[in-house]
Amino acid sequence: MKLKTTREHRILYVKTALRWLLYYVVIFACFIIMCSGTWLKPVLLVPVALCIAVKNNLYASAVTGAICGFLIDISCGKLFGYNAVILTICCIIISLLFEFYLRYKFVSFLFISAVISYIQCLLDYKFYYEIWNYENSERIFTQYTLKVWAYTVISSVFIYLLFKMINHFLMPKTHLTIEETLKSGEQR
Amino acid sequence: MRDFLKSTRFKILLAFVAFLVGIMIYSVTKGGYSVSVESFINTISKPFRTVSNGIGMKVETSLDKLSRAEEIYDENQSLKKQVTDLNEQLNEYEALKSECEELRKLVGIKKAHPDYTTSRFCKVIGYTANDPFKSFTINVGSDDGIEPYLPVATAEGLVGITIEVSEHLSTVRTILSPDLSIAVKSSSSGEDTGIIEGTVTSAENGMTRLMHLRTDNTLKKNNLMITDGTSGLFPKGYSVGKVKKVDMDSNGLSAYAEIEPCADITNLTSVFVITDFTGKREISE
Repeated sequence: MKLKTTREHRILYVKTALRWLLYYVVIFACFIIMCSGTWLKPVLLVPVALCIAVKNNLYASAVTGAICGFLIDISCGKLFGYNAVILTICCIIISLLFEFYLRYKFVSFLFISAVISYIQCLLDYKFYYEIWNYENSERIFTQYTLKVWAYTVISSVFIYLLFKMINHFLMPKTHLTIEETLKSGEQR
Repeated sequence: MRDFLKSTRFKILLAFVAFLVGIMIYSVTKGGYSVSVESFINTISKPFRTVSNGIGMKVETSLDKLSRAEEIYDENQSLKKQVTDLNEQLNEYEALKSECEELRKLVGIKKAHPDYTTSRFCKVIGYTANDPFKSFTINVGSDDGIEPYLPVATAEGLVGITIEVSEHLSTVRTILSPDLSIAVKSSSSGEDTGIIEGTVTSAENGMTRLMHLRTDNTLKKNNLMITDGTSGLFPKGYSVGKVKKVDMDSNGLSAYAEIEPCADITNLTSVFVITDFTGKREISE
């Protein structure tokens, strides 16, 4: 633990603000990418929301999950709020998991990202295609859902690296104020 | 000096000068043609002159470039600006041209279907991400008089229907979707009727399917299918697509046909919305 001076306190605020600004710039960029072109695209906002959830507190993760979900709904033409609900729940669970049980490692993130994006893609397929009994709807699963899932998992590697870089420069280190240090000393 | 004037050397030089004068007078009398000696020298020296001229020109150009560098730079800048201006004008011209073409098409449609009230040509902002049935968003909404469930078309043919309308944007469900059914008939006979409804497999190839055809239908390849207009959702007699293949249904009771939409639904850039037409059914909310 390191003592936190007033100057560092100010830097912490600036870094946090800058970090969140960058998070939302990335979110917006991913949204724009998802809205453009006619090819199959990864659902970039899922790994983005997860990247933010694993390193931030519960409320921030939930809000970011909801925003990313809304943006997915807009770009994928789904019922507004449908993906927001799914992603908010996922982000809360992931945030708790990483807070208490898991360490922020690439493998664990990739695994979590693969599972969550699979859940998201599967639910999408179930609710939007399979439930309506379209003829040959299983083709949508093999031709679209699985491909989109695979692209999302691949893209999550790059998104992980991007967020690792942002966090490396802008994530505040654990600090204690002088008062907190003295208090903890007295208690000992 | 007097000795020199009397000497042989002077006489020889004088004779030589006289010879040269003689040659000069001779060449004057040739009326523009070279004397043979001159021709010979020219022939011999031609390749050397060509090479040396080339070198000379290059050297001169290089020196000219160096000496006029600033002037050339300025000229280059002004030409660049001129190119930019011309490109802008060209873009403007292209935009006007495409607008003019679109308006011409719209006028054609209005002439062919005087009962239609249409929106202006609207841009396709983007296709819905990862949608197998190619639904898309257009840049007009309720502020432009667009309502849900209005037919969307191009000059070539019907494209789909508006399903979600916000103030400035609308989402269009295409005829590739299984959630949209359109009653159609053959433009040639008018007797072969059916329902156009997308399927997963046909949508993969940008096609749609005509279902519930009679087994004794007379449809042939490239027959044009037009809207029947019975539902009140679509205007009567608007092109939808061309027949590509006719086959029997698996149940053996009816036939189906693969339909290629008249409009290239997978690559749309602009469409228009038919806001009113004869026989339109008002949809209560």
